Amino acid sequence: MIELSTLPDVILTILLVIFLARALGLYLSKVFMGRPSLLDPIMVPFESALMRLMGVDPDHQMKWKEYAVALLSLNAAGLIFAFLLLTFQGGLPLNSLGAPGMSWDLALHTAASFTTNTDFQHYVPEQQVSLLSSMLGLLVLMFLSAATGISVMVAFTRGFSRRDGSIGNFYFDVTQAFTRVLLPLSVLGALLFILAGVPQTLTQSVTIYPWTGGAQTIPLGPVAAWDGIEFLGTNGGGFYAANAANPLQNPSAVTNLISVVLMLLIPFASPFMFSRMVRREQEARPLLATILSIFLLGLFLMIFFQSSNPFLASTGVSQSGGYLVGAEQRFTLPESALFQVTSIYSNTGATSMALGSLTPGAQIDLFWGMFLQCVPGGDGTGFGMLLINVILAIFVGGLMVGRTPEYLGNKIGKHQMKWAAVTILSHPFAILIPTAITFVFGLASFSGGTAAHQFTVVLYEFTSESANNGSGMSSLNDNTLFFNLAGTIVMLVGRYLPIIAMLAIGGSLASTDPAPPGPGTLKTNSATFTIYLILFITIVTGLLFLPVLVMGPFAQGALGGP
Amino acid sequence: MAAVDPLTPPHGAKVSVKRKPVLSWAGALKASFTKMDPRVQVRNPIMFVVYIFFFFMLLATFLPGLFPDLAGVGYDPMYYLSITIILFVTLWFANVAEALAEAQAKAQADSLKEVRSGLMARQILPDGTRRWVPSSHLHSGDHVEVRPGEMVPLDGDVVQGGAVVDESMMTGESEPVVRESGGDKTSLIGGARVLQGIVMVRITAEPGFGFLDRMIRLVEGTTRDKSPNEVSLTILLTALTAAILVVIVSLAYLLGFRYPSLFNLGTIIALVVCLIPTTIGGLLSAIGISGVNRVSKANVIAKSGKAVEAAGDLDVLILDKTGTITVGNRLAVQFLPTNGVDLTQLMKAAINSSALDDTPEGRSIIRLAGLKGVLPDRIDVQKTRVIPFSPERKMSGLVTPEGAEYMKGATSAIETYAGGFPDDLALKVRDVSSGGKTPLAVCLNKKVLGLVVLKDVVKPGIKDRLRELKMMGIRTVMCTGDNRLTAAAIAAESGVDSFIPEAKPEQKMSIIQQEKAQGHLVAMSGDGTNDAPALARADVGLAMNSGTSAAKEAANMVDLDSDPTKLIEVVSIGKQLLITRGALTTFSITNDVAKYFAIIPAIFVGFAGISSLNLMELTDPKLAVLSALLFNAFAIPLLIPIAMRGVAFHPATAVELLRRNLTIYGVGGLVSAFVGIKVFYLALSYLFTDPAFMAVSEMVRGAILGL
Repeated sequence: MIELSTLPDVILTILLVIFLARALGLYLSKVFMGRPSLLDPIMVPFESALMRLMGVDPDHQMKWKEYAVALLSLNAAGLIFAFLLLTFQGGLPLNSLGAPGMSWDLALHTAASFTTNTDFQHYVPEQQVSLLSSMLGLLVLMFLSAATGISVMVAFTRGFSRRDGSIGNFYFDVTQAFTRVLLPLSVLGALLFILAGVPQTLTQSVTIYPWTGGAQTIPLGPVAAWDGIEFLGTNGGGFYAANAANPLQNPSAVTNLISVVLMLLIPFASPFMFSRMVRREQEARPLLATILSIFLLGLFLMIFFQSSNPFLASTGVSQSGGYLVGAEQRFTLPESALFQVTSIYSNTGATSMALGSLTPGAQIDLFWGMFLQCVPGGDGTGFGMLLINVILAIFVGGLMVGRTPEYLGNKIGKHQMKWAAVTILSHPFAILIPTAITFVFGLASFSGGTAAHQFTVVLYEFTSESANNGSGMSSLNDNTLFFNLAGTIVMLVGRYLPIIAMLAIGGSLASTDPAPPGPGTLKTNSATFTIYLILFITIVTGLLFLPVLVMGPFAQGALGGP
Repeated sequence: MAAVDPLTPPHGAKVSVKRKPVLSWAGALKASFTKMDPRVQVRNPIMFVVYIFFFFMLLATFLPGLFPDLAGVGYDPMYYLSITIILFVTLWFANVAEALAEAQAKAQADSLKEVRSGLMARQILPDGTRRWVPSSHLHSGDHVEVRPGEMVPLDGDVVQGGAVVDESMMTGESEPVVRESGGDKTSLIGGARVLQGIVMVRITAEPGFGFLDRMIRLVEGTTRDKSPNEVSLTILLTALTAAILVVIVSLAYLLGFRYPSLFNLGTIIALVVCLIPTTIGGLLSAIGISGVNRVSKANVIAKSGKAVEAAGDLDVLILDKTGTITVGNRLAVQFLPTNGVDLTQLMKAAINSSALDDTPEGRSIIRLAGLKGVLPDRIDVQKTRVIPFSPERKMSGLVTPEGAEYMKGATSAIETYAGGFPDDLALKVRDVSSGGKTPLAVCLNKKVLGLVVLKDVVKPGIKDRLRELKMMGIRTVMCTGDNRLTAAAIAAESGVDSFIPEAKPEQKMSIIQQEKAQGHLVAMSGDGTNDAPALARADVGLAMNSGTSAAKEAANMVDLDSDPTKLIEVVSIGKQLLITRGALTTFSITNDVAKYFAIIPAIFVGFAGISSLNLMELTDPKLAVLSALLFNAFAIPLLIPIAMRGVAFHPATAVELLRRNLTIYGVGGLVSAFVGIKVFYLALSYLFTDPAFMAVSEMVRGAILGL
């Protein structure tokens, strides 16, 4: 039997997420439509000073290309700054642990990783990153990448309701995302973490002398602050290498649940914000239903596949609490599964389990979340991917009702299709080509594992990077020139190609004539459409990725489950 | 050109032809092979992938030495040859689909071209002399004379005379029509044959730009640009194809390097061809061509395929009341006598007043009374004085030889004429008018007897068609010159969504502009010159063939049957066109699921647990691959009828349509592929155990290996 006593907590957590996300969605729509909102008295002076400092007119409305150039420039600046910081951290202050400067390829991978909201760590954070690099480099990038994602979603959304070709001002959006959303909520999150016992200090370590003798140095730092934005921003880069499995970062079932809520908050708020901004509030329903049903199925499958390992079952070993190899003993199976599925499906990439040790079925489940990227996906971009999937689905479905496909009063034509096509292509390209190169040229070395498992590990590496997820399986020696460079390219492609496509689609929608929905329009707020959307996303993604899943996790043997 | 007898055509000159469209099967068959030309194939990115792989497999089958790395592993001459052949058949099926659709169009175009080529015309020079010239020498503004038995050389307007004209070359079986100078029935299509009468025609089109030419160009496809949705769909399908190529090619590399014993070039290529959307890819152009063909079969000339597609998108239809919604005449429906007058007495007076009235209203009064058993008195036509209707008088009637004066007319006119009006009747007049009907007062010798109630009669069946339109989400707007009350009554009876009373033709233009400003797609039909600007502005403007040249020029479709309700049919064809594309795309995608379950177990044979994916229990991997590939190929010819006819379309709400088509083509595609592949597998298993077949196969194998 599976240990399910904590299942009600899991369900309550998800209900809490939906409740909070609804409120946050309304708040987000106010913020980005420039309506009066809660934090105006505190933030307005600060924001206008910032705008003046940058020399930006926040009322200037940008076309999509201008928006994209501004976004890419700011992201590039962040990447270069962090790269320099990490390369030269050995000689810079606030480095009491004496972390040496990173090699250029590792610094590049790390900087790209945090800029793209991937937060893949080819290093051990508590040993190889100075406090300065953490605070001024990586922490800043965690805010910037999340704010970038939110801006993209907001600009994309505006495309649906505007008619003048403009999609907003990037500097305004990114500032608002920071001051009105990420900063206050991550501070709130950090406070909750502190209350729940997560350390928050500028001391970099304490040395303890356990009764077993000897001395033990325990690295410390602003862990709670880090956790706040790590989860809220769907970043996922751990303060500790063990990430959420480390008892200092994730001490209890309470912090486990706070993390889950933070990870899901913005992605689940997105449909509510979207429907508000396009002035069609019922349209949140089909989108939320799609996200929620695929997400819950993923959660169910995780619990199902981890409930017992078929190889162990044949030996007669008791697995009464589920198959626990690689799982954190402090948490029950539903708790661990909730955290892990949340983290992977939201492309946060934080881990509380050893992913390489999961049953093959559970691994397929995690791959599935990253192949889809949109249930709910990372902050902003995940929802953007969902909208692109909706556009694709509505195109085929719209034809089937005998009209030029339209969504929310916008006709879907060749401009939108062209960019949606780019996003269909980018994920398989960015995952499969480097995976094939790795094996064809024998570029990977592993610490153990069967052939099928080794394939799974490499596939996971690139899938995680292309999806900007950031989790990895530890048996791959990935701090090599090849994996650092290939990974950098994959992360950049996986991040910015879809972002450009989202902005371009938003811009092209904003430049098309309105097509007001009439009685003959396909009603997207209907059960039929929702089911169709779920099946469409599932089948198209499945078609592209089934063969590699067969070569990888499937080939490892029986999937698992009771 | 030498002066000739203007009346009889010069010897041997062609002035008329008659030919029916004949579908050339041989031509279609030939075209299906000539289309194998790479320059043709490259236009369809999806089939081009199959094309490249076909040649690749051809080389790999017969010259495996060229690819020692690839074909060396798992090379099996019979297996490779089978795949090569199936790939060719797949390509050929796609070509057949396109060739058939084109042959259908060509048959129509050929019969039209026959009409045009070498036709001679009798030109009237400005000085009045006549001479024979080839019709291709005529220009817009020239005058020609056309006599019985001859064909009108180019589109034009009758400027003098009148004639009975046979337009069956364009309109199929429709009856001869009358064309005469003046009024709205002046226009002639080039190719129409004069049966009776002589007309002088002013040419309004340059050679090569008349209706005939336009129709030929359209059906021949020289102007067939891909319509917007076709372009978008091609982008989607190409992206899907490219993504599948990346997936399978990287899979091939991984297999080759990690599991060399499992690698088989033939299987990999078969997998790509199975997964890329060849079904819709192979049928896409046939669907577009057939859509235009269906429109011409409905006797509508569409000036572009884009217009046909736009018809599927319409939200608003502007309909003329008269002729479209109502039969066009008011008919008597009721007699209302005033107090003290007997019903029969009223009916008698009414039919007597209409005895010599040839208008439909007059005849309907006699018919209605006849139904109630009252017949008109015998009237001595010679001695009867008829008082005809005139717009000023607003009444008509007759005075019998005995001096009885029967009059009927507008109530106001009768009131003046009779010098009074019974009070009870005045009330009834108000009732009748507020019901949207028209009262006619009847009197005998200046005594008002009662009313005849006339009513606009809604065309039979129009109500159902309007309901269908409503179901499809199309709003109908009725334009009428009637007052608000009458218009409202007709609107309520016919089920039209809204109406514009007291509308002038010019007003249609402003309605169209209003609707378009709100983002709606608007269609209208019209025939008069004053309809032309609105026809041009509408997204779909359907001109009546009986209408003026200006109207036909401005519209983007012309209905040769001059039936305004044809708009509804055009909408259905447009929708069908889009649905067919969407449905076959869905079919292609869901098919792939079943193909995966056939091929993946075949590729990863020997993998632990792979048998759990072998849902169809296809034990022989090679036969499994061939079955999937065969199903993929045969899906194309099996769906040709659907591509040519279009998916059956029943008006319903969008969500119902989605549900219906998802069930038929989505679930159907899934199930049919599972069943189809299994059936092919069983057939192949049977074939491959047949000793005779095996003997032949061994010979072929030996022959290929011997090369």
